[in-house]
Amino acid sequence: MNWQAILLTVRLATTVCALLLVIALPLAYWISFFNRRWRFLVEAVIALPLVLPPTVLGYYMLVAFSPHSFLGRLADSLFSVRLAFSFPGLVLASVIYSLPFAVQPVANAFSAVDSRLLHAAAVLGASRWRCFRTIILPLSKAGILTGAVLTFAHTVGEFGVVLMVGGNIQGATQTISIAIYDDVQALNYASAARTSALLLLFSFVALAVVYALNRRSSILWSTARSA
Amino acid sequence: MVDRPQRVSLLKAEIRHRLSSSFVLDCKFEIHAGFSVLFGASGAGKTSILDCIAGIKRPESGRIEVDEVVCFDSAKKIDLPPSARRMAYVFQDLALFPHLSVLENVIYGLDHLRKETRQEVGHAVLARFGSGHLVQRSTRDLSGGERQRVALARSLVTNPRALLLDEPLAALDRATRLKMIDALQSWNEEHAIPILYVTHSVREALALGHRVLVVEAGQVIAQGTPAEVLDRESWE
Repeated sequence: MNWQAILLTVRLATTVCALLLVIALPLAYWISFFNRRWRFLVEAVIALPLVLPPTVLGYYMLVAFSPHSFLGRLADSLFSVRLAFSFPGLVLASVIYSLPFAVQPVANAFSAVDSRLLHAAAVLGASRWRCFRTIILPLSKAGILTGAVLTFAHTVGEFGVVLMVGGNIQGATQTISIAIYDDVQALNYASAARTSALLLLFSFVALAVVYALNRRSSILWSTARSA
Repeated sequence: MVDRPQRVSLLKAEIRHRLSSSFVLDCKFEIHAGFSVLFGASGAGKTSILDCIAGIKRPESGRIEVDEVVCFDSAKKIDLPPSARRMAYVFQDLALFPHLSVLENVIYGLDHLRKETRQEVGHAVLARFGSGHLVQRSTRDLSGGERQRVALARSLVTNPRALLLDEPLAALDRATRLKMIDALQSWNEEHAIPILYVTHSVREALALGHRVLVVEAGQVIAQGTPAEVLDRESWE
């Protein structure tokens, strides 16, 4: 088993998950509660990675991350970091690639909060921030956890974008899925089988957690509504 | 509850708001301290009037003033958010926070007070509405009557300028309803604020209202004592 690739993948998925939670909460709030004219465009941009072939997304990111591009020069001058074929570049690419997996469950959870509860909190003197902190966030716990699990699992399983942006550098950008591809190319089927089984088990557990969370939250809501 | 100076409270509302292409809310009224009943059939616009007063809906034009505080004035571009209006509103569906306990619900509007004071006030108001034993219970485990009492306690604890009640007793049996009305009336003897009570029940309107405003198709078509208005309109 390629432990180096496994550890790097876990580090990548954890970093992406943490960053996406910070990004997804305000984005989902804006999508759910502000009826702006151009909201549909923002939603379409966020959902793009769902339909775009990973190689297409990876190609554009590779171009954008090149040392001669604006983004590449900016990262170099501000943080002395090269984005192409590096771990930071992999993180940035994965954040963009997994954005819909974080934003959509959170936005759905925010939208499902009964507007009457928000009105009640406002009439009781709560500011928008307090309303968000004390009503929306706790009632959206399952959606936020779902977003986190899906983001983590999706980052663990990504292949095309990672290969395009990160290449295949052991210890720096080689993730589990690329290690499996490498094993197969080298006819090392035993190692590929072990790593694939691990990924299969992980994906099943992640999905079971997501469905369990959503089942619990729908029970909670139906109890609250029927009471 | 926090002491408030005794004064004559008055709620003045002038609301014009298009709810749909064929339904316009267009009403003007003043209510004094005590119960006033907003009476009308379902879909007459009663809840929308309360929503406008509370600041949940923004009228296209008009003026809303309570206790000499202008909450909304389209001409002067004043529009206080609901959190700054200090109205208490008991919604038709009560809107209790399902993830908070009874006490946490009741003290939600007392965030400006110290924790100990919040708890004391919360316990006191729950006891007053016969719900002292429910303090630590989850709102999901309450009966219909218990939920109504908790919602009422939660709205009154904030020492509001006016109280808006949207058919809050509709789901209760007669005995519980009478008890709640007694508790509300005794509370209002001390606080003397305008209470706008929405109902479509003639019996409730007769039992409660010192004054009745009859709403039809978004307009207040008659105002007066229950006997005057309800006789005149032949609601019985």
